[in-house]
Amino acid sequence: MHLPRFTYVRPGSRDEAAGLLDTFGKAAVLVAGGTDLFPRMKYRISTPEYLVSLSGVTRFLPALDEDGALRIDALMSLGDLSRSPIVRTHAPLVSQAATCVASGQIRNAATLGGNLCLECRCLYYNQSHTFQFVEPCFKLGGDLCYFAPKGNRCWAIFASDVAPALLSLDTVICVTGGPGKQRRFPVAELYTGDALSPLTLLPSEIITEIIVPSAFGTGRHSFRKFSRRKGYEFAGLSVAVALQVADDGRTCRDARIAVGSVAGGPVRAAAAEAGLPGQDLSNSETVRSAAATAAQEIRPIAHHGYQAAHLRHCLEVEVLRALTEAAGPAPLADV
Amino acid sequence: MSDPLKYVGQPIARVDGPAKVTGKARFTVDVQPPGTLVCRILRSPHPHARILGIDISAAQKLPGVKAVVTADDTLKIKHGFVETPRYPADQYPLAVGVVRHVGEEIAAVAAVDEHTAEAALKLIKVEYEILPAVFDPEEAMKADAPEVHPSHPKVTEPFRNIAGKTETGWGDVDQGLAESDYVRTDRFESHLRTHGYLEPQATVASWEDGKLNVWTSSMGPFIKRKKLAQTLGLPLSAVRVHKSYVGGAFGGKIDLFSHEFCAALLSMKTGRPVKVVVSREEIFAAYRHGQPLIVELTTGVKKDGSIVAQRIRTINNCGAYKGSGVVVIFLSWGFAMATYRIPNMAYEGFAVYTNNTVRCPQRGHGAPQMRFAIESQMDMIAEEIGLDPVAIRLVNARLPDEQLPNGDNVHNCGLVECIEKAAERINLRERYGSSRNKAAEGGSLRRGVGIGVSAYFGGSLIYPNSSSVIVKLNDDGSLIILTGSLDIGQGAETILTQIVAEELQVPISQISIMAADTETTPVDIGVWISGNAYVTGNAAREAAMAVRHKILEIAAQELETETCQLVLSEKAVSVTGAPERRMSYAEIYEASVRSRRGDPIIGEGHWRTMRDVPTHPSLATAKGRWTENYAFDAQAAEVEVDIETGKARLVRAVTAHDCGFPINPLNVDGQIDGQVSMALGHAFLEEVMMENGRTLNPSWLEYRMPTIGEMALSESIDVITESYVVGQPYRTKEVGEGYVSAILAAIANALYDAVGVRLYTTPFTPERILKALKEKAQADSGNA
Amino acid sequence: MEHIKVVVHLLINGDAHDLAIAPEATLSEVLRGQLGLTGTKDGCGTGECGACTVLADGRPILSCLTLAFECQGREITTIEGVACNGELNPVQQAFIDAGAIQCGFCTPGMVLATIALLNETPHPSFAEIEKALEGVLCRCTGYNKIVEAVNRAAEAIAARLKGGTSCQTP
Ligand SMILES: Cc1cc2nc3c(=O)[nH]c(=O)nc-3n(C[C@H](O)[C@H](O)[C@H](O)COP(=O)(O)OP(=O)(O)OC[C@H]3O[C@@H](n4cnc5c(N)ncnc54)[C@H](O)[C@@H]3O)c2cc1C
Ligand code: SF4
Ligand code: FES
Ligand code: FES
Repeated sequence: MHLPRFTYVRPGSRDEAAGLLDTFGKAAVLVAGGTDLFPRMKYRISTPEYLVSLSGVTRFLPALDEDGALRIDALMSLGDLSRSPIVRTHAPLVSQAATCVASGQIRNAATLGGNLCLECRCLYYNQSHTFQFVEPCFKLGGDLCYFAPKGNRCWAIFASDVAPALLSLDTVICVTGGPGKQRRFPVAELYTGDALSPLTLLPSEIITEIIVPSAFGTGRHSFRKFSRRKGYEFAGLSVAVALQVADDGRTCRDARIAVGSVAGGPVRAAAAEAGLPGQDLSNSETVRSAAATAAQEIRPIAHHGYQAAHLRHCLEVEVLRALTEAAGPAPLADV
Repeated sequence: MSDPLKYVGQPIARVDGPAKVTGKARFTVDVQPPGTLVCRILRSPHPHARILGIDISAAQKLPGVKAVVTADDTLKIKHGFVETPRYPADQYPLAVGVVRHVGEEIAAVAAVDEHTAEAALKLIKVEYEILPAVFDPEEAMKADAPEVHPSHPKVTEPFRNIAGKTETGWGDVDQGLAESDYVRTDRFESHLRTHGYLEPQATVASWEDGKLNVWTSSMGPFIKRKKLAQTLGLPLSAVRVHKSYVGGAFGGKIDLFSHEFCAALLSMKTGRPVKVVVSREEIFAAYRHGQPLIVELTTGVKKDGSIVAQRIRTINNCGAYKGSGVVVIFLSWGFAMATYRIPNMAYEGFAVYTNNTVRCPQRGHGAPQMRFAIESQMDMIAEEIGLDPVAIRLVNARLPDEQLPNGDNVHNCGLVECIEKAAERINLRERYGSSRNKAAEGGSLRRGVGIGVSAYFGGSLIYPNSSSVIVKLNDDGSLIILTGSLDIGQGAETILTQIVAEELQVPISQISIMAADTETTPVDIGVWISGNAYVTGNAAREAAMAVRHKILEIAAQELETETCQLVLSEKAVSVTGAPERRMSYAEIYEASVRSRRGDPIIGEGHWRTMRDVPTHPSLATAKGRWTENYAFDAQAAEVEVDIETGKARLVRAVTAHDCGFPINPLNVDGQIDGQVSMALGHAFLEEVMMENGRTLNPSWLEYRMPTIGEMALSESIDVITESYVVGQPYRTKEVGEGYVSAILAAIANALYDAVGVRLYTTPFTPERILKALKEKAQADSGNA
Repeated sequence: MEHIKVVVHLLINGDAHDLAIAPEATLSEVLRGQLGLTGTKDGCGTGECGACTVLADGRPILSCLTLAFECQGREITTIEGVACNGELNPVQQAFIDAGAIQCGFCTPGMVLATIALLNETPHPSFAEIEKALEGVLCRCTGYNKIVEAVNRAAEAIAARLKGGTSCQTP
């Protein structure tokens, strides 16, 4: 397996990179760690003429804002993220989710931004199409779907582990589209939910940093990844739960439940969340019914050998476990 | 009493360890002669199609392309895993007229680099007429099924697509079943798995001055030389297969593969070295995998659990060509009859063509599938008649010196001891049934234990039938071993070195080994018939003996004593009781050259299993002897099931094995650990997912091999039944593939013990386990 | 598209190399093809086996998913560079002694991942070993003896440090 040929450009700043993306248009693709893009390029699913690399861009270390929010460089590697004491303290859920991604070697190259912008995955798509599934499917610009031949949409899965964690923490995404073209928005707005074009970013936009607000950052939380193997593997589904608990230690003030790998983007279990504020989290019925609600409102797509019904069942189990874990006695500082 | 063994039987570190741990060991993928061209292969996108035309002209014109070949550039000579009068060779190295599975090889190019080679493939235009295809074996047997190949002419049943049939038996099964106190019939299905060798398939071929030099990731250079010579129309002497280290094989690198043929042909065409490294994706989607067997099993027992009769029918989804699909239906019979006494048996096995990739041996070659069926049913029977799993196995287990129906003898069979020891170690008698459906500590986890047994042959007769070894003394008293045997990770080089070290009392570090080169090393059976330790090992011992004889003769002459007065130690010979009367091997060498017309002391040894048996047994009737050595084992498993998600894992495996005599206990343990790991992958994780002949998961991300996270505790117990005595032939059994089978059955049985559900189909996925739990809950509440 | 090669300056096992490479060349291709350092293995090329693991500034990365161009300014260590003073690295020795090698194809990646682990965590728990090696597949050993080798190596290194002889592993 070898990479296709491309012209390599290495801008010195994020703004410059965005400018280049703008100039080259569709012919260019941005690369950070390359751990998602390079396999796709080797399979010839992506064959950019220009590769705009972020490897020459100066990175910054995670730091706290005056209001206690944690700012993390989108170019930070997941390995550094999972080792960073400040992240572990102020956004332990992010550090946990990052540690669940792929393998140590990959985490040392993979970046946070790349993880959030991961391409959607499908068994029929993540192949090289030289002698199997040769006709392009929707995702490759064709007009058929191998997965659901009768349908007219793409059912590929957005499998990032960190995205649901950020979603549950009300994280803010900062992007640049070139000099003077910065904007920020809640992470939920990063995703379209459509696997054909999963991100709302403009073609020239680059994620520069993320801001984890303090409200959820250090609250009770749990991250669970359901997969067949313990070692490196994408999630069958992943669940991130973040809770704000009243001073009595049991009454829920606010709750976030986010689920990954079940659709074309990370999803929130809004109905399940809505039922929790004011409830006693130590009551097992409370969490049980929240989990049941989550499994009602989210319909996982079958993928990578997992059947839909099974995922749905396990979604309930994992949400229940995550809620129970998060509601349980405050975890010891994970340092 | 003879002296204690110093090298044989010791846990000696592998002799190729330093080369492998420093990155110096050269694998085929590392071979890169100057000026090497890159070869890529064009494969069929269709499971079944007629080739109406191939146009290579555009590809040939692409700058950087040095040659393009299709079937028209070949001699159209077929090859096959089996090449017998009943099962003649049936596969062209490049498709002639028809393709029968997705990924079948149609053309190959040699170009200056990968980019050019791949661009050239895109320029080859093939016109197809798509033919109807069939993928399921039972569908393929139907009268109106698409025909992959005509049914075998000797098969009389009105089935389509029969590649081969094995039919055998003894006694009267109908009467046996009628006389049984309890009879049951079950159907078990196994799924498609693959070897997962880490080193991809790869070949370098270099045609120089009328000689084809080949480096290829294989399981034996001599069989590759034969098949390459045959299909290329070259004399054997024009083909040289060189040694390279092999990054795992597990049965998957025996056959001739088209990429090997293509690299060779392209090198002959271009006069330049040609290298092909097959992509992991091609290996998963187009290469040979193991064999998914359907086993229908009827067993009748007496009240005491003793088997009276067994009827077995297997159906093998054999893929688009015979491959080893017609062998596995023979072997499955062997794996059924070797462990237990079965007074009446009727066996029939069908290999059925389908438009899937070709099958080849995979570690265990039918045994895991067969033992899963038999051992699962054994537990079901035991439960029905009120016996425990250990008792029913002890009643039926073969005893030492039993004669098998095919004329083989089990000799010093340690099966009973294996069963008892494995059961005892995991405390099976007490634990089995005691914790069923009970949570360990509240929670959703359940644990259970189970047992299975198995037997495996060690060496059979198949080309080239012989292993020969040469041992040379150097003038400094060190040794060189020449062997055609190949180290694929199992430790062949190490155990041969140990044997020679023991026979000649030369330290391991003073012995170098030259292996697996068809030109400079003697012939070898190859490392795919589970006979290396026995056949090649005895050849090495004989070669060392020949050297020993010469050393002793010369020493006796020079020290003026009888050879029986001499002892060997540390590269020297001395007189018993008079250690000062001593000659070093260097001095002996010098004396030999001086006094024996230059004889530098070279020993040759050879070995053949079953020396009085002319040929291998009949694949059609199973008549004829199969092997000299049966290894036996009992394996126990502890399994944990999460009843909420259905996820299950192997926690602990105990292997009590009668491998005869462990020449290197460290190697034996390593083989067992690896097989336990493979079996847990088989049981819970791995599956080549296919849809209409296309592979959905052609990558390691999605073909879920165990990672370190799935590791199970693996313990082994030696049941030693044979011995090694210096100067005498020894009988040892095999350790390389016999221990993937009983453990699979043990896992199935432990799963049942944990949660009370019986799965008849592998793998035991969370979906299947949950579904079975749900059905059980419904049935239980229905009964209540 | 024109294919211009670029000159890179790489530091590999302490040796400096100036090489003309294609921009799309991965580190594993350059190591194996151009420098003849074939100890780094390529088992898939797509990040799924870990056989191509090398150390970049002491941290394990996959050389099959790393552009050689982007390795400038980083210290790369391959399996050929871990022996110290002509002697096997304690991790290498432990792999041999524990029987943690069979076919040997995963061995370079395993050894390098282990070296990185032990540099950061001299006495790893089982969970830490599991996490550090989760990205290197081994089909032969079932991992049992590999875990044993890691533990043995940890002991050996500790004993060496006690004895005052230290060997600077990358
Ligand atoms: C074997 C294997 C296992 C894996 N397992 C997991 C897993 O378990 N969980 C998981 O989440 N992922 C997994 N991954 C995927 C991937 O490694 C990670 O998601 C990683 O975080 C991607 O980051 P990267 O920097 O390498 O992305 P890249 O490959 O560099 O980029 C990925 C995509 O994001 C875009 N991009 C990158 N950075 C930015 C930015 N700052 N702004 C805008 N767009 C950007 C790129 O254009 C590209 O399209 C796995 C990958 C492999 C090969
Ligand atoms: S689900 Fe999407 S990626 Fe998969 S086959 Fe259908 S269109 Fe292609
Ligand atoms: S070759 Fe890099 S991970 Fe397999
Ligand atoms: S030793 Fe063969 S893959 Fe690990």
